Amino acid sequence: MITTDTCIHCKLPIPQGDLVVDEIDGKELHFCCHGCQGVYRVINGAGLGKFYQQRDWHQEGVPQGVFDKAFDEALLAGHVFTRNETSAEIALIIEGIRCASCVWLLEKLIHKVQGVETIRVNYGTHRAQIRFNPKETTPKEIFTNISRLGYLPHPYTSGAAQQAAAKEQRSLLIRFGTAAFLSMQVMGFSFALYGGYFHGIDPSIRETIQYFAAAVATPVVFYSGWPFFAGAWRSIRNKAPSMDLLITLGVTTAYSYSIYSMLAGGEVYFDTAAMIITLILLGRLFEGSARNRSISGIDKLLRLAPESANLMAGENLQVVASTSLKPGDLILVRPGERIPVDGWIHRGKTELDEATISGEPMPVLRRQGDSVLAGTLNLSSSIQLQVEKVAAESFIARMALMVEEAQNRKAPIQSLADKVATLFVPFVTLTAAGTWLFWFLHDVQSTAALLNAVSVLIVACPCALGLATPTAVLVASGNAATRGILFRGGDILEMTARIGTIAFDKTGTLTLGRPTVKKIIPAPGQSEASLLKIVSQVENGSSHPIARGIIDRAKAAGIHIGPTSSVETVLGRGLRMVSSEGEILVGSLAFLEECSVKIPAVESGSLTEVYVSLAGLWMGTLLIVDPLREEAASAVEQLQQIGLRTVLLTGDRLATAQEVSSKLAISDFHSNLNPADKTEWIRTHQEAGEKILMVGDGINDAPALSLADVGCAMAGGTDIALETSDLVLTRANLGRLYEAIYIARKTLLVIKQNLFWAFAYNLITIPLAASGNLAPVWAALTMACSSVIVVSNSLRLGRVIRRTFSVAKA
Amino acid sequence: MLKSIIILIILSLCIGTGAWLFFIWTVKRGDFDDIEGPKYRMLDDDDDQDSQGEKHEE
Repeated sequence: MITTDTCIHCKLPIPQGDLVVDEIDGKELHFCCHGCQGVYRVINGAGLGKFYQQRDWHQEGVPQGVFDKAFDEALLAGHVFTRNETSAEIALIIEGIRCASCVWLLEKLIHKVQGVETIRVNYGTHRAQIRFNPKETTPKEIFTNISRLGYLPHPYTSGAAQQAAAKEQRSLLIRFGTAAFLSMQVMGFSFALYGGYFHGIDPSIRETIQYFAAAVATPVVFYSGWPFFAGAWRSIRNKAPSMDLLITLGVTTAYSYSIYSMLAGGEVYFDTAAMIITLILLGRLFEGSARNRSISGIDKLLRLAPESANLMAGENLQVVASTSLKPGDLILVRPGERIPVDGWIHRGKTELDEATISGEPMPVLRRQGDSVLAGTLNLSSSIQLQVEKVAAESFIARMALMVEEAQNRKAPIQSLADKVATLFVPFVTLTAAGTWLFWFLHDVQSTAALLNAVSVLIVACPCALGLATPTAVLVASGNAATRGILFRGGDILEMTARIGTIAFDKTGTLTLGRPTVKKIIPAPGQSEASLLKIVSQVENGSSHPIARGIIDRAKAAGIHIGPTSSVETVLGRGLRMVSSEGEILVGSLAFLEECSVKIPAVESGSLTEVYVSLAGLWMGTLLIVDPLREEAASAVEQLQQIGLRTVLLTGDRLATAQEVSSKLAISDFHSNLNPADKTEWIRTHQEAGEKILMVGDGINDAPALSLADVGCAMAGGTDIALETSDLVLTRANLGRLYEAIYIARKTLLVIKQNLFWAFAYNLITIPLAASGNLAPVWAALTMACSSVIVVSNSLRLGRVIRRTFSVAKA
Repeated sequence: MLKSIIILIILSLCIGTGAWLFFIWTVKRGDFDDIEGPKYRMLDDDDDQDSQGEKHEE
């Protein structure tokens, strides 16, 4: 027996009177509309009903109206890559994927379309690659099939920069794989040689093994190590010694000395050269994959605006590419569609969901003459739009450009290890040269001069120095990840530790971004419950965020929400419904006053007011607020305690900003800021030498997030914000921000300790080597010791982090 | 002695090279491009066909 007031397909409440009942497989099922019923039949009919048990939805779905979207054949043809007569490929981004079940459903169902050969949907990037037979199907048919399921496909051709990045990541993976494989071989040979050194070995066997070791180590140095050589060359050209140069110096001396020594019958150090390269490549691999995601963020931003638009040519509608629109053109935007270009409304009025742009959860009313932005979603009715700017100059394109510029402008953080390298490289080179000169003057004939100079270079090999940062970063980011804190790279960890100022966005960051009823003021003679009952009758079935907040409150108060008769929406003002007891009005003060309801003044402060009347009499007022996060005050206090300056940057009006900042004890706040103002604020303060961490969630914060020294986004923010940020908190809890900074500071401390150890080791061994007193094997042993110290110190960091926060939690 | 060592080393290198080529092949095939998806896909890929009915409300 199924008794439910939510649609079985979309899980939204079924508005009264819209109920669609269908019997499938002998069961009575309830739907909110025929669209949902159709999709349910498609999915269930294909034997994929399992989708309904597996799905696990966290995010908002696609807008209504995608189901009957028309796709333009000519437009799609431009994105098809033809392999041969019977095989072609198309790449697309699919909007509306919420969980793994969606990926599963798409792959299964689209694969069943006649002519589709293979389909692969990437879970992380929501990109799909479809190979099909152009003689049996068309891209349009595939797109229509996808959209029939309720997903929105966009054709997608990746930019050159992105392809290059993907290619680079692949080549790095191959370089690392090769290095790891060959280093294992080298280590095997080295074990035999070490054994031979201490217990004696037949010279011919030793020589053979050495040759094998050389053969295996050579590709590691020259193929896998190539990025370091390239980096070293760049650093020489820029006259800025870097870690790359130091690594190259160490590797090449270890390698070439080994070759020389092998031919002369001495000891070899191929393992040193190979292991340094392998370990450091591993560190780079981790960083690279994290970084690539920010590039795809910009991409998603641009895809928000649809690629096609309905151009109005006289009486006819014509589907054209958005890029072909010129200022002055008239286009039609139906409800459920996103707006393709910036423009102003020529005719009609509608409510727009601008959440993706501004982060504000409430829909806004736009009427004739108002300007609207590309990428926003048309919610309620069709509008005619006059194009103001070409697609490439739309707000969203400018935003993408700003993000890109900010990312480029942000000076690469010079990591601590690089700074050490700047001093260390000239120091080592000079010492080696000095050693050679000293021994050469001492005895011109002997080979001791060259040998001692080389051993200086070998013991100065940056094994521990190279490991100091990557191991600490690896341990810290691993432990942070289990606590829901993702650092996008080691330099971000270091930078987070140095942060002095934290700038907060308001909506969705300090507040929940979800309006709730703060206070109920019933008219004299009314109770809170009776007022709620009246309002919820009207608001039931509305998807407006405020309505949802009110319904939640009514349900929490245990009010049974009775049947709703037809509700009339007065755009931007409120709702009107005729009940058995008379006309009910719910909406703004102006709306009710227009309908000649007398209303006494209500003290609301900065809250949003919702007025209610029944049969021309004021029944009461609800005060709505977007509440602060529970932990916001304590988190802000914690951050201030560890010496950080907190600032509020918001697009809200002054009163709201004032109230929030006084509640949270943030003394410094700036209101009425647009995205450019936010970046401007950050830039001026950066120029004054401040290190700024910005926390935000909307697309409007994206440029500021990129420009800030560290950009931080929380789960629940827009994808764009998440992907343009350096630091992501996967649990929407501001307390994690404090943890992130704590972890970063601890990590920086450990890195400093590691570098100190590594440096101390070199300070002791270099003089010994220069004076000709260090036997090579002892050099190797001490080198191993210093590496072990560095690695275990890094592992200790993990224990410290776990202990600190498990205690804090208990 | 020397001969057997050389044979064994070469043999191990051959096996290793085989594994290495396999690795290169998988990278080129794009198996490492989506490292999030497979763990979910694995759960979905059992082909039980008796899931026609609606068990949502149970």
